[in-house]
Amino acid sequence: MAVPGLEVLQSSASLRGTNSGLRQVPVVSKLIDTSTCIGCKACEVACQEWNDLPNAKTVQQGNYQTLPTMTADFWNLIKFHEVDVDGSFNWLMRKDQCMHCSDPGCLKACPAPGAIVQYSNGIVDVNPDQCIGCGLCEIGCPFDVPRFSEKTGKMSKCTLCVDRTTVGLEPACVKACPTGCLHFGTKADMLAMGNERVKQLKADGYASAGLYDPPGVGGTGVVTVLKHADKPEIYGLPRDPTVPTSVRVAKSYLRPLGLLGIGAVVVGLVGHYLKFGPRVPPKDPPSSTPPAV
Amino acid sequence: MAESLRAVPAHSSADPGILAAQSREDLVVGDEIVRFRYYTRAVHWGVALTFFLCLFTGLPIWTPIFGWMAPLFGGLQVCRWLHPWTGIAFSVFALLQFVHWAGAMRMTEADKRFTKLKNFLAYMRWQYHDDEVGKFNGGQKSLFWLSSLAALGLLATGVVMWLPNYFSNPFREASWILHDLTFILFFLLVLGHIYLSIAEPGTFAGMVRGTVSKAWARLHHPSWYRDVTGERRR
Repeated sequence: MAVPGLEVLQSSASLRGTNSGLRQVPVVSKLIDTSTCIGCKACEVACQEWNDLPNAKTVQQGNYQTLPTMTADFWNLIKFHEVDVDGSFNWLMRKDQCMHCSDPGCLKACPAPGAIVQYSNGIVDVNPDQCIGCGLCEIGCPFDVPRFSEKTGKMSKCTLCVDRTTVGLEPACVKACPTGCLHFGTKADMLAMGNERVKQLKADGYASAGLYDPPGVGGTGVVTVLKHADKPEIYGLPRDPTVPTSVRVAKSYLRPLGLLGIGAVVVGLVGHYLKFGPRVPPKDPPSSTPPAV
Repeated sequence: MAESLRAVPAHSSADPGILAAQSREDLVVGDEIVRFRYYTRAVHWGVALTFFLCLFTGLPIWTPIFGWMAPLFGGLQVCRWLHPWTGIAFSVFALLQFVHWAGAMRMTEADKRFTKLKNFLAYMRWQYHDDEVGKFNGGQKSLFWLSSLAALGLLATGVVMWLPNYFSNPFREASWILHDLTFILFFLLVLGHIYLSIAEPGTFAGMVRGTVSKAWARLHHPSWYRDVTGERRR
């Protein structure tokens, strides 16, 4: 999907993107401060509205969560976690969405050229025209984000409102957030703002407060302030997400080795034929013994 | 052999070898021996055709280097839709072939000798001869068992990737790796199989026409030749 003003840094199943490097575009990021999220779900509504997604029928699960999980037409879900931390009850809300990894496992796993792209500003986007609906991005994603539409069989997920952010607007969810727990800007600015907030939380007595920007995927385009950063699992976040080993094995080892093997065998067989030629059966030799019939 | 020729009227211009090969195999017709009857060949060509459909719809998904194959079927989306179905078709033919040949593919002592690396390498230098080789040699039988295993593996891992919602992620990851690995090894075997059928003239024709020359049979499958012709060992 060509977005005016943005070049493609990397593209699925392609040798390279279109990024000439001529225009220096800062990497953008969204900051989610879970400590000030009140679970109002304005971001969910804003996301549905801006992206023209249909109303989702809520599912009652005994808590305030809209749906059990994100769906192909619900890309932004506030997850409500009720957990005991060090003997005290905590009601933790976290905005679940695509994390826009710097090293996107979905893009690595995707076999369809150009179906998943990463723009030069770091946003990871899906091009439904190119998506073949194979589901390999689900395997590649360490955050369980990609969802497939029942109707089209194609993957969809948060685009970090690339159609807003490229024209200078903040993502719809950020625009709607009433408490200011969502921010959007350059990654550097968001990290600075997040670290500032972590400092405040620590001063307030949350000794293990921290910023979730996992290095295993090269950092994420969505950085999250956690009061309990030592236990990301209680927020439903993986401790040390990486691109799965299977993706690396398949793409970095199996594929080149397989191609090499197939090429070598083809060349070898041609060489064999040139060296040994066809094995033609000898002309019927007169049999020394008559047929026994 | 005379009985098989009964069906051919004296005035018929049809090839007696081909006619005999419609329903019978392992019998002599003139200078030829019927090796594969119609059913055998139909099943084998079914396997071959569906294998290549799987190959050409699967390769562009495996790597964009073969992306140019996708338009042959209408694009990568079509390949992704078609590949599982060609896989099912391949599995059906592979199963038919397995049932048809499993009995004939039991490894004999001669076959085990053939599969020793030293002997196989000698074979590839056209320097190996074993008077006890039957209708199929050790290499062909090994290929049969390995490719049957590969077909089973490709089907099982393919189904997991086809119906992702029914399987957990570790299963899907393992299936992905195994599907790729099995395909690569299987394809290498098939390349060798096709090569030998061409590099040893008469072999490919045998699978098309159903008949081989006596000289061919004597060279490649001497024990089978003796059984079919009733000739004694020389």
